[in-house]
Amino acid sequence: MKQRLFILSTALLAALACAGAHPGDITNWLQAPASTTAVEVRHSFFLTLILIAPFLLAAEGLLLFVIFRFRAKPGREPAKFHENTRLEIAWTVAPALVLIVIAVSTYKLIESINYSPASDIQVEVTGQRFFWKYTYPEYGLTISDEPLVVPENKVVTLLGTSVDVIHSWWVPALGIKKDVLPGRITEAWFKARRGTYKGQCAELCGPLHAEMLIDVKVVSEDEFKSWIRSKQAELAVPSAAAPADSSAAKPADSTGTATGRQ
Amino acid sequence: MSDSPERKKYPAFFEWLTTGDHKKIGIMYLWFALFMALVGGGLAGAIRAQLASPDSGLMRPELYNMSISMHATLMIFFMIIPAWVGFGNYFVPLLIGARDMAFPRLNAFAFWLAVPAAVLILSSFLVVGGSIQTGWTAYPPLSLKAFSAGAGTDMWILGIIIAGTASVLAAINFIVTTANMRAPGMTWLKMPLFVWAWFVNATLILIATPVLSSALAMLLTDRLFGTTFLTVGSGGDPLLYQHLFWFYSHPAVYIMILPGFGVISHVVAAFSRKRVFGYRGMVTALALIGIIGYMVWAHHMFVSGIPAWLQVFFSYASMVIAVPTGIKVFSWLATIWGGTIRFSTPMKFALGFIGLFVLGGMSGIMLANVPIDYQVHDSYFVVAHFHYVLVGGSVMAILAATYYWFPKMSGRFLSEKLGTWIFWLIFVGINITFFPQHILGIQGMARRIFTYRPEFTALNRVSSFGYLFLLLGGLLLVWDLLRQAFFRKGSLPDDPWQVNDIQHTLDWAVASPPPEYNFEEIPVIK
Ligand code: HEM
Ligand SMILES: [Cu+2]
Ligand SMILES: [Cu+2]
Repeated sequence: MKQRLFILSTALLAALACAGAHPGDITNWLQAPASTTAVEVRHSFFLTLILIAPFLLAAEGLLLFVIFRFRAKPGREPAKFHENTRLEIAWTVAPALVLIVIAVSTYKLIESINYSPASDIQVEVTGQRFFWKYTYPEYGLTISDEPLVVPENKVVTLLGTSVDVIHSWWVPALGIKKDVLPGRITEAWFKARRGTYKGQCAELCGPLHAEMLIDVKVVSEDEFKSWIRSKQAELAVPSAAAPADSSAAKPADSTGTATGRQ
Repeated sequence: MSDSPERKKYPAFFEWLTTGDHKKIGIMYLWFALFMALVGGGLAGAIRAQLASPDSGLMRPELYNMSISMHATLMIFFMIIPAWVGFGNYFVPLLIGARDMAFPRLNAFAFWLAVPAAVLILSSFLVVGGSIQTGWTAYPPLSLKAFSAGAGTDMWILGIIIAGTASVLAAINFIVTTANMRAPGMTWLKMPLFVWAWFVNATLILIATPVLSSALAMLLTDRLFGTTFLTVGSGGDPLLYQHLFWFYSHPAVYIMILPGFGVISHVVAAFSRKRVFGYRGMVTALALIGIIGYMVWAHHMFVSGIPAWLQVFFSYASMVIAVPTGIKVFSWLATIWGGTIRFSTPMKFALGFIGLFVLGGMSGIMLANVPIDYQVHDSYFVVAHFHYVLVGGSVMAILAATYYWFPKMSGRFLSEKLGTWIFWLIFVGINITFFPQHILGIQGMARRIFTYRPEFTALNRVSSFGYLFLLLGGLLLVWDLLRQAFFRKGSLPDDPWQVNDIQHTLDWAVASPPPEYNFEEIPVIK
């Protein structure tokens, strides 16, 4: 049984070591939450962990204890009890109370994730096999298959939809995951600090699902303004090489036939 | 069946093909499940090999998606569920003192429906375009003709509908058998816990499975006959499918674990040499899990765009399930408390079950917490969660049942020495393979991907390495099973584990293996 303890603890330690191995890993919301929501989600994560840890330790600890303590030995008789109402009430009520605490503590956060405060900037997100298209209605600007650029510390609301199958827009550091479905519009929002964040599609959408990546650049207000201006200028110049509808400009491999890696 | 002289002329396998004996049917289900475990386990190896590095390039993305879809399908519908139906078939009649199931022919029919369903689904690999690539959840629109044109998807859908029908027939049989055929004196509250667990389970199957079949039928007619139940743009709604799918598939996760709860109670009591602690609490917990299990399906859909108040409802309802689950865990521990434990192989698996299942339950509570689920839904955290409950839980319980009941079914023990090796390989393998996946999910690795960001390489390699332990443990087990079942002779007493002086269950009151009609005289329970 020592073996078991040893294995469990090594596995845990190894795992934790690996978890800390990439401090610069910007997909990781536990180490680097970049939006107000992600910070609160991390808080909720640790609170839940702390509240359920006693039960995890109690169950696993008792298990190890009984294994060591009650092995059969010559001359030892098994106990005869098989009921204890007080004990049974205790292990029904205690977890229930803790679950109530967890539940109540998440209520506000569920609300805040779902309902955006007054929006500063809106972006329409369209999922398409296997890339993302972003439209800024206020600026008459649509980009596709390139990073989403938004200003820092502004409430960015996303309205998502899809033109083919279900995708899911997931950027861990921003604390957002939301499915985009054909024929429906789903909403999400975030308010983030400056930085570049990675994400990817989180709903199986076809062969290249794994390569339907997301990049978000959160920049200062000024940078954002000048980025918008340059994009508008770029798209305003009509040229044979750049059709007005940017989604048509995608290479053929993104529209369904998978080329994939061999 | 009478031993008429003509019957004797048929070869033995014909006897098996036509049998209505619940024990033979049970055994056939178990070999069937074992075969499917080998195929499904092989696919798991292919998946872990592909993921051993971010660009291993072993599989094209299409083949990778087929592998994950088929792996899940085989493990859920053709391995875990049939294995429980097998043990249920063999032991429910024995445990309630009946001579057979209520409808022996229906019983045989259900098994012989499951076999062609499996053949149909496996052969979908051979058609043009290959097998299904949508994951086992088969969400439309991805699973509609426009995005999954091949006939493989149709074969898969049809196969699942047939397998579902088979399990509904089996469930009806279990319910009627348990309700009507208990030995005189066996009141509901004297029924062994495995029988209780199977009764609740059968009710779940009976209510939930037709809902899955109807969702799949809509999918199939949308694909083949141009209906538009689920087709966007013609009034259909893909979210309808998700609701129906999870209305079945959430209870389905309990369909895979409840009989395990029953077996663990028997094994833990038998090898601690004590009676089960809190029998009434255990029965109540089983029933509550069955009932609440119906009210939580949308916890798989928190990020799908369902309104916030629904998220709150389904989140709280999901957490409530942890209470009866906790009752069961603490009651098992209290059963062992004060006992005199023998660490025979079934007990090793039962203790391993408790240890691993608790971890899986805890990550379940984290997932039921909506904000956390917003982060880790469809990530490797979910993969870790359900492998802890399904491999650490259901499969460990199936192994406990195998070691516990094999002597009854065959009159021979499985090797204890090999059993110890097999237990440690599998226990350690599960932890090495699945624990790192929690962290991968928290770090942001999505599930169902054939390649990943290079940051995730180290932990994926650890996970793939763990598979080797599971493979070795599994192969040793198969070898021992084949060897003992076909090449060894033995004649154990009725009660080889010597449990009956502590707790009386009727499975240990008949010969090993039991005679054709189980009991010469129907036993009377005092
Ligand atoms: C304490 C009780 C449990 C709770 C609160 C719980 C909660 C959850 C939640 C919220 C999810 C959805 C995660 C997501 O997709 O984002 C989930 C997924 C899952 N759970 Fe549990 N769970 C519990 C026990 C179990 C048990 C006993 C089993 C099976 C034996 C199980 C099997 C699964 C499976 C297979 C999935 C993933 C399905 C898929 O997406 O393919 N869970 N669980
Ligand atoms: Cu995708
Ligand atoms: Cu569920």
